[in-house]
Amino acid sequence: MISYKKYTLDNGLRVLMHEDRSTTLAAMNILYNVGSRDEDPGSTGMAHLFEHLMFGGTAQIPDYDKQLLLAGGENNAFTNTDITNYYLTLPAENIETAFWLESDRMNLIDFSQRNLDIQKSVVIEEYKQRYLNQPYGDAMLLMRPLAYRIHPYRWPAIGMDISHIHDVTLDKVREFFFTHYAPNNAILTLTGNFRTREAVRMAKKWFGRIERRNVKPVDRPAEPEQTEARSLEVEKDVPADALYKAWHTVPRAGNDFYTLDLITDLLAGGESGRLYNKLVRQKKLFSEINAYITSDIDPGIALLHGRLMKDVDIRSAEEAVLKVIDELKEKPPSSHEMEKVRNKYESSNVFANTSILNKAVNLSFFELTGNPDLINTEVDLYRKTSRSMVTEAARKYFDPASCSTLYYRSSRDQK
Amino acid sequence: MNGTPMIKPPVRPVTPGRIPEAVALKLDNGIPVFLIEAGTEDVIRIDFTFDAGQAWENRPLTASAVNRMLTEGSQNFSSSKLNRTLDFHGAFYNLYCDRDRAGILVFFLSKHVEKILELAREILFLPVFPEREFKAQMKKRLRWFLVNRDKVANIAMDQFYESVFGKEHPYGKQVVQEDFKNLSRDCLADFHVRHYTPGRLAVVISGRIHKDTVPLLNRFFGALRPQAADVTRSGYELKASEIKRVHIEKKGALQTAIRIGSPAINKLHPDYPGLKIVDVILGGYFNSRLMKNIREEKGLTYGIHSIITSALLSGFKVISTEVSKKNTPKATDEICREIELLRRVAVEKDELEVVRNYMLGEMVRMFDGPFALAESFRSVWDFGLDNSYYYRLVRKIKTIEPDEITALATTYYNIDDMYQITAG
Repeated sequence: MISYKKYTLDNGLRVLMHEDRSTTLAAMNILYNVGSRDEDPGSTGMAHLFEHLMFGGTAQIPDYDKQLLLAGGENNAFTNTDITNYYLTLPAENIETAFWLESDRMNLIDFSQRNLDIQKSVVIEEYKQRYLNQPYGDAMLLMRPLAYRIHPYRWPAIGMDISHIHDVTLDKVREFFFTHYAPNNAILTLTGNFRTREAVRMAKKWFGRIERRNVKPVDRPAEPEQTEARSLEVEKDVPADALYKAWHTVPRAGNDFYTLDLITDLLAGGESGRLYNKLVRQKKLFSEINAYITSDIDPGIALLHGRLMKDVDIRSAEEAVLKVIDELKEKPPSSHEMEKVRNKYESSNVFANTSILNKAVNLSFFELTGNPDLINTEVDLYRKTSRSMVTEAARKYFDPASCSTLYYRSSRDQK
Repeated sequence: MNGTPMIKPPVRPVTPGRIPEAVALKLDNGIPVFLIEAGTEDVIRIDFTFDAGQAWENRPLTASAVNRMLTEGSQNFSSSKLNRTLDFHGAFYNLYCDRDRAGILVFFLSKHVEKILELAREILFLPVFPEREFKAQMKKRLRWFLVNRDKVANIAMDQFYESVFGKEHPYGKQVVQEDFKNLSRDCLADFHVRHYTPGRLAVVISGRIHKDTVPLLNRFFGALRPQAADVTRSGYELKASEIKRVHIEKKGALQTAIRIGSPAINKLHPDYPGLKIVDVILGGYFNSRLMKNIREEKGLTYGIHSIITSALLSGFKVISTEVSKKNTPKATDEICREIELLRRVAVEKDELEVVRNYMLGEMVRMFDGPFALAESFRSVWDFGLDNSYYYRLVRKIKTIEPDEITALATTYYNIDDMYQITAG
């Protein structure tokens, strides 16, 4: 049981606090409610590039990193389709340094052309390193626009194209900051060894002075229902053929989220998952196979991908995958198998809570979805998922007509 | 917000506290067990670690193949039953095979301790290496290998180890595709009999340790005979290559992976704590000189890091980065320039202060929580050291002066002795 207190400042900043006296550290997480789904289709990758710029310093504190390091801290950040999330840990006695640093850069960042140019190059190198210069690295760059036609989830957080990053101007950066970075568009979470009363006092002192900003809600087009199967085939210089499939699912706060999550666990949760057992271990069609659902605020997808063994025909491998999924539609899993995936969830949840940083990140995200209590109550929602709910959800969501398929073929002679 | 700047809050000096000592005991047959009680959740992490890493194999892939096959079937459990049972109990496991040691890490809810220990005995001491599973496993691993060999980072790293340690050295030999055909299940079973013995095992347990843990360990492991293993070890004389620069061309690569480094002392050497500090200044943290110069000033890369690694037979230090192909010479020159600077110019007080505080903060994190504690325990115990190593390191971090840093850099960072490997 994770007990926490919530306090909202006058400027709209939500503050969540969870005391954990077993550690000498404290963690601070700041979630900004802005991700790649808030971007203009002509300027994708902006939220992520902006994350890099947030470390460029301010007029008051030109050297964020150095100041945090002097207090024994460590930090990082990530950007996804929905959020930009900054986090740090430091010895608990220096927690006020975290307030000082984070409130300062929420207040105003020092934008310089030089820093923008450098961070653009850094992000372009990141783009190459992670997506273009890795075997299969661009698979999601191909899958997203296949599954999504109009919703911004059709591009990844890194951006649709390198040219978008290249073309960002300083004016755009400034505008982005003032429309998205604001106390009333952020969630601050503290976990670790501190007193809640003290934390509230510091939150008021440091963040209370920042004025509310005019955050314009982004008007995002809803993705129309997919009624016909889509497919794409590419051939590239990779060692083996790979299969990718995506089905439309539900938002993170949707009712069927837990059932769908358990379905992907039944399919691919570890080596006892059905796909691994049948298609890797028994039939030896794939060298690896995985499936998961995205945890997106807007309706997400269930994604399946596998790499084929030598001389396996991709179409027959795909049929074998579909057969495993169809079994879920036809026959409910045994109580024992259901119990297995529920237990696995429960235990991974307990493990996640062994880290103050995880607790801080998760509390922030649950607050964004509207219900921070989920950090404690989700276990029950998984527990309540029944065998028949699995069958029903499998039928409803794993519909061939709402599926997008990518054949990622190897151009090499198979060795 | 009004214009008056807020006053910077005072910073307390970062002081890693006393490190909780592991409770050491022995099972009935002498297997050493270390207990580290910590944490808020009822979870346990057990590390069963054997003297059975890659350095002990005479044929490439043997040690890792044995390790991977441990969960592929035992006397009383098929592979799928083993995995089903572990999953049913919500356990996570991680088979590992490093340069020196190999074993399994298991994470589970404390209440399942009996079941997990029963399964651990099956996995570690009663595997049967079924022929069919073995063949499938090797085919599958060959596929993984081919994908990994397609990444410039791996191509450069493998060549780096070969150049630095020599083709015949256990840390230096590269795996090639043929190696996947040259193994048999018998050779795995043989390696297992010799190396996965009670005499070569240590058990490190951390978390909220269930009260029955030790009696249960004795029940499942305490009666196993510690047979004297007849172990022969391949030669491990370090024969570094004469050729200091190697480039491996990869057609169509957008980036080049750069690896620059050399063999180094390990934790047993008295200079190691000081050298660790030199390494951090150069490239061991986010604000390091290499990061500042090559990423934050020139925008040449997404990341550049330097790391010094301690292994039993030798340590090594390596600088790693990936840059656009055309920028390779520029990045390499800048790396060499930073090394020269470290040798010639004394570190400024201000910079040293940042490094001291960063490293002390790291040391607080290294001992925070049951899992971090267990890892930190292993990383000294493996070398026959104890927590006094960490206290020495803390003292060195607090007291090292700029001239000592220059002296260490001059002794250990000589650009002419360093290997420069590129792939891309």
